[in-house]
Amino acid sequence: MSTATTEVSAIDTHARVPVLLLLGFGLVWLLVSGVLALMASVQLHTPGFMAGYAWLTYGRTQALQETAFVYGWLGNAGLGLGLWILARLAGSSLRAGNWIIVGGIFWNAGVALSLAGIMAGDMTGHALFQLPSYAQPLLFLAVGAMSVSGVLAWSDRRSEGTYAAQWYVFAALFFFPWILSVAYVSLLASPLRGVLQSIAAGWYAQNLLTLWLAPLALGAAYYVVPKITGRVLPVYQFAGLGFWTLILVGSWTGGRHLIGGPVPAWVPSLAIASASLLVLHYLLVLLNLRGVFGGGGTSMKLLAFGLIAYVGGGLADAVLSIRSISVITHFTYFAQAQQQLALYGAFSVMIFGALYYAVPRLAGRALTSATLAGGHAILIMAGVVLLVVSLGAAGWSQGHALLDPKISYPEIAAATRPWLLGASAAQALLLLGNLMLGVNFALTLSSSLLASTAPVYAPPAKLAASVS
Amino acid sequence: MKNGPLFFLGLFASLTFSFAGVVLFANAQLGGLTPYYDDAEGKSFPERMPGVAERGQLVYRDLGCVSCHTQQVRRPGFGADQARGWGERQSVARDFIHQPNPQVGAMRIGPDLTNLAGRKPSALDAEDLMKLLYAGQGAMPAHAFLFETVKVSGQVPAKALKLTGNLAPASGMAVVPSERAQVLVAYLLSLNTVYDYPESRPFVKAAKKTEGGIK
Repeated sequence: MSTATTEVSAIDTHARVPVLLLLGFGLVWLLVSGVLALMASVQLHTPGFMAGYAWLTYGRTQALQETAFVYGWLGNAGLGLGLWILARLAGSSLRAGNWIIVGGIFWNAGVALSLAGIMAGDMTGHALFQLPSYAQPLLFLAVGAMSVSGVLAWSDRRSEGTYAAQWYVFAALFFFPWILSVAYVSLLASPLRGVLQSIAAGWYAQNLLTLWLAPLALGAAYYVVPKITGRVLPVYQFAGLGFWTLILVGSWTGGRHLIGGPVPAWVPSLAIASASLLVLHYLLVLLNLRGVFGGGGTSMKLLAFGLIAYVGGGLADAVLSIRSISVITHFTYFAQAQQQLALYGAFSVMIFGALYYAVPRLAGRALTSATLAGGHAILIMAGVVLLVVSLGAAGWSQGHALLDPKISYPEIAAATRPWLLGASAAQALLLLGNLMLGVNFALTLSSSLLASTAPVYAPPAKLAASVS
Repeated sequence: MKNGPLFFLGLFASLTFSFAGVVLFANAQLGGLTPYYDDAEGKSFPERMPGVAERGQLVYRDLGCVSCHTQQVRRPGFGADQARGWGERQSVARDFIHQPNPQVGAMRIGPDLTNLAGRKPSALDAEDLMKLLYAGQGAMPAHAFLFETVKVSGQVPAKALKLTGNLAPASGMAVVPSERAQVLVAYLLSLNTVYDYPESRPFVKAAKKTEGGIK
């Protein structure tokens, strides 16, 4: 039993309430965003759906589902796991847990206020930055409060050295308030002139993915993978190079979405060049984390899938941002496919994988249903593949049709409709899968709360090895 | 990475560098763009948006029209923007300098709207746009919530839509646009980038114009 006691330590019991609170909030938003995403997807092939309600017109459901997914689900779950990982790697109990709870409540109040504001028509109109101006201070303060715990865990760490997972999580904690406040000032408080807003909004949206969501997901993966395999990460000496490549180069890749637009040509050119340089980061991450392909439980399957999506999506971004391909795919569903591959296939699935590792340890008992966990993993992987393939195919046909002026808009809509139906089916699969996760999480938590005895979870023997 | 302060300095410097390089540098280049004064016409371009159109742009933004429509024409030869009649020249940064909330967009589920009011051979008029908004068309959803169905006592309101077929309201009723619909249509009717700035002309064409061939 000594291995079990080192696995489920005081760190986890201290972290239990704050971290599970964030994960629980995240799962609620995941389901909300799933319903909204399904609605938005149906509206694309059946425009009459919910068209009578101003607050659910397509322009708004699209903004709603994106906001609920990114800030509600990925934000909550990523921050929760990240703070837990920082505490664990520091080797000391999670401190300032109350700050996480208060921050978590503020954060989720901010997300709820944002969704209500978007329904009422207060969105900013910038992709991935639709948060109404009055909700943003809440999110800013919330992440500040939660970071207190992260800063303490960083400065409290027992060993002088640091691990890759710590760099990534810490960078994410640091970057989010930075980019949010910069975007707030340059887009809302004193907006830049004209098309400069598009450049600033593109910079924010790219950094939200590159410097916030990607580090949170990678931090989780860099922590969980060696824990499960029980081995030191291969070519770990290059993990630092991979990290700094992402931070230094990834931040410049936002202008890809302005190719051919009313901006100076250097904006997209710089982004295309940076996207090519970023290939180094993806290759190093693949080398470091290649242990996930060794097989294992639900966690490992999801992490392996997420890693393929992350690296594959990154390489695809580099190739597809070239102007001669962008002229076809730009402005089409193909761009949505690429975004979903990153947001859902890479970030979300990696977080799912880490969740299956973390929740039993935090709750102090194994997940109630292994069947629900397995079913969730299968539905999510199938859903992501179907979603990305459907949107990609819809976008490819739409892009080619747009290049031929003789093909009218109704003809384009008819040609893409079957693929869009496929995308809706994918959203339904994803929603169903996430319901299974939600039920499993709720059952595990309630059985943990009902149990009067101390935690009884003992991880399988091969998980006991602790290598970071 | 044992040195904490150095680590933070690195993070801070990376992001500052990219913000300065992308946003501030672009701002230094474009932030001071002035309207272009044309001696022959005796006025500056782009012209200011009418106040009502500026209000309409806010309606356009809050309904999320930008999630399906772009307002940026790519240069002739790059994509089929010109062939589709969306514009004879590429959109340039100067087109947007008077717009408080530019709606450049990144999706073309519907057509580009940069020059909606200047379509050749005939552009949609206010009535067409009202009907389009009310009933929807093809992949575009109806926006009937921007209209009110009112009871007619006496004369039919002048603004009432002339609807026929199964769209027509019950007898004694009329569909009138709300104020939001009216400012939105005013905005859509203001969308027209007519003036050809020096920087919006294709580079090659300008070179050909010079006497004595290229260069």
